[in-house]
Amino acid sequence: MKDLLVMMFKRSMAAAAALCGLCMTAAAADAPFDLKDPARIAAGKLRFGSTCAAYCHGNEGTGGKAPSFKGRKDFVAADAFKTITEGRRGADIMPPWGNAYTPEEIWELVAYLQHLSTLPPAQ
Amino acid sequence: MRERFKNLMLVAAIAAAASAGFVGTAAQAASGPGYDDPNNWPQYHRSHNAWRFSPLTQINKGNVKNLKVAWVHQPGTITHGLQATPIVIDGVMYTIAPDNNVFALDAATGKVLWRYTAKLDPVVKEVFYGSASRGVTVGRGKVFVGTLDGRFVALDQKTGKEVWSTQLTDMKKEYGALFSSPPQLAGNTLFGGTTGGDQPIIGKIFAVNADTGERTWTFEVPRDDPKSWPGDSRKVGGGSAWLPGTYDPATDTIYIGTSNAAPDYDRSSRLGDNLYTATLLALDPKTGKIKWHRQEVPNDSWDFDASYEALVVPDGKGKNVIVHLNKNGFVYVMDKDNGALHNAWKYSENVNWTSGIDLKTGLPIDPVYPETGKQKLHCPNLLGGRSWNHGAYNPSTKLWYSHGMEVCNTVTSAKQGPVPGIGGLSLGLSEITLTNPPGKKADGWFGAMDPLTGKSVWRVRYEMPGMASVLATAGGLVFTGDMVGNLYAYDADNGKELWKFNAGSGSRGGPVSYAVGGKQYIAIPTGLGSHAPGFLTGAFPQIRDLPGGATLMVFTVD
Repeated sequence: MKDLLVMMFKRSMAAAAALCGLCMTAAAADAPFDLKDPARIAAGKLRFGSTCAAYCHGNEGTGGKAPSFKGRKDFVAADAFKTITEGRRGADIMPPWGNAYTPEEIWELVAYLQHLSTLPPAQ
Repeated sequence: MRERFKNLMLVAAIAAAASAGFVGTAAQAASGPGYDDPNNWPQYHRSHNAWRFSPLTQINKGNVKNLKVAWVHQPGTITHGLQATPIVIDGVMYTIAPDNNVFALDAATGKVLWRYTAKLDPVVKEVFYGSASRGVTVGRGKVFVGTLDGRFVALDQKTGKEVWSTQLTDMKKEYGALFSSPPQLAGNTLFGGTTGGDQPIIGKIFAVNADTGERTWTFEVPRDDPKSWPGDSRKVGGGSAWLPGTYDPATDTIYIGTSNAAPDYDRSSRLGDNLYTATLLALDPKTGKIKWHRQEVPNDSWDFDASYEALVVPDGKGKNVIVHLNKNGFVYVMDKDNGALHNAWKYSENVNWTSGIDLKTGLPIDPVYPETGKQKLHCPNLLGGRSWNHGAYNPSTKLWYSHGMEVCNTVTSAKQGPVPGIGGLSLGLSEITLTNPPGKKADGWFGAMDPLTGKSVWRVRYEMPGMASVLATAGGLVFTGDMVGNLYAYDADNGKELWKFNAGSGSRGGPVSYAVGGKQYIAIPTGLGSHAPGFLTGAFPQIRDLPGGATLMVFTVD
């Protein structure tokens, strides 16, 4: 009986954890503000310029090993948020920024990148 | 008659050498640094004069076309490619792959003799300059590693087991300052600097006892001097020494170059000369005290550094001089014992940050500084007139073989705010883009020059700048590679291409030559890596399509 209770408790905890994970995913997938807000785009542009652009991605996100952000048709905001937060390692390295910036600051970067994707592609 | 006798003696000497198991060395008659220990590649530049010259001649102009693959080694990790220069001693190759994976290999077959995988602090996942290492150092029965989490580690040369480990940087407080280059030996002193030229820290050169790992001295690159560093600028002034230094045992002197000052392009808070950044240092290995120094870029505001190799060559008048390339597009020729300037010649074809170097003072004439909020074109770009990929010198041709990068960058300087996180850099920028020189298409070149005067003897154009180091051999050959994956052997006299091999991914490491069992080998690390190619996409968008990789290619002739 005791074992059964322990097992039931463990299962309920696991279910809760799974739900929590889903909640976090849902939270990460949704921007806490309108990504088309010009003030947020401007804040993201400033941050992008001093970090992402200066390091790797170039002016208006047209440099670096990553595809240019300008005029990009396959831009997915949630994917961009995840990549900035967690970084990426393969043949190259993009460091994770989840410990450096708040989620709101990262979403501002995403707002700027999404804005770039609506512009004409770089020549 | 006298000439005939000489020739007979030469034949006899060669026959004696052959019977003793030597692999032909044209430079047999000569001795000293660069010539000694011909079968091995015992240190980073093979010899402390940084020649990257092998005296072996079995592979030469006549048979290089017959080079074939002897073996390859794939470490299984490719992040940022292979950037190392392998060390070879008595038939064993010691090298390092991404993420501090160290290997001892049978240099004749590639068989793995031992492997050491550093157990790294998880913080390394957050740093900007991650994964890559330029090599290991072997001596005193140990293999020395500078780690990605800020340690010097000594391994047993025979087994690869850890002997000691000494933490030297505080990764979290020092924005991930780490060792991307192998620490070097100066007697029983093991010394080296970290990444950090672009970080808001006080950059340092560390020294430990090579046998015990006990710390001996630490040299803080930003000098404690308010004239050099107004206000609090020194505390965030960067300055580091991210490439290996060299040690001249004859004068018991360490030569090591230092990085740029930080914030890189925002000099507003550091209006001084910012000593000892962008400086070639001559240090006493026992104390870390300065013997002499030459600052090449006072108040560096272009990310120029002075970190490249101190090449030591004969001056033609019976003395040796240091030939020191700076990222700023000039080569400084100086007295090796006191740093007095003999010459400063223009290396890059496109230079606009200064109108020249004053030979009396060594200072740049009318430097054009970045301006906050204003976009300016600077040449050379932040990667330099050449990247850190080292050149090579052949004492027979008396020529220096090195790559060039004719690429500029547009820069908009910005007031540097707080640096976000461990992966953050202090660049003082709102924008930087690598681009064409005015009126020209950006490209690269590989050439042979008189190291004392810069006189060009031959030059081969590359569509994109070569990022591999260079090997010169007494066989009259020069080996290097390009970013696409082609490996080349050129005729050292005229630049004629004598051999080409497609390795499939670009080369960023250091080719070496050695001999085992009477057979000469050429080893070339391949696998494009480092942040540099990413920066270069501004000028060469096709870099986006280049694959990464990590394969050590070893060639020989039958």
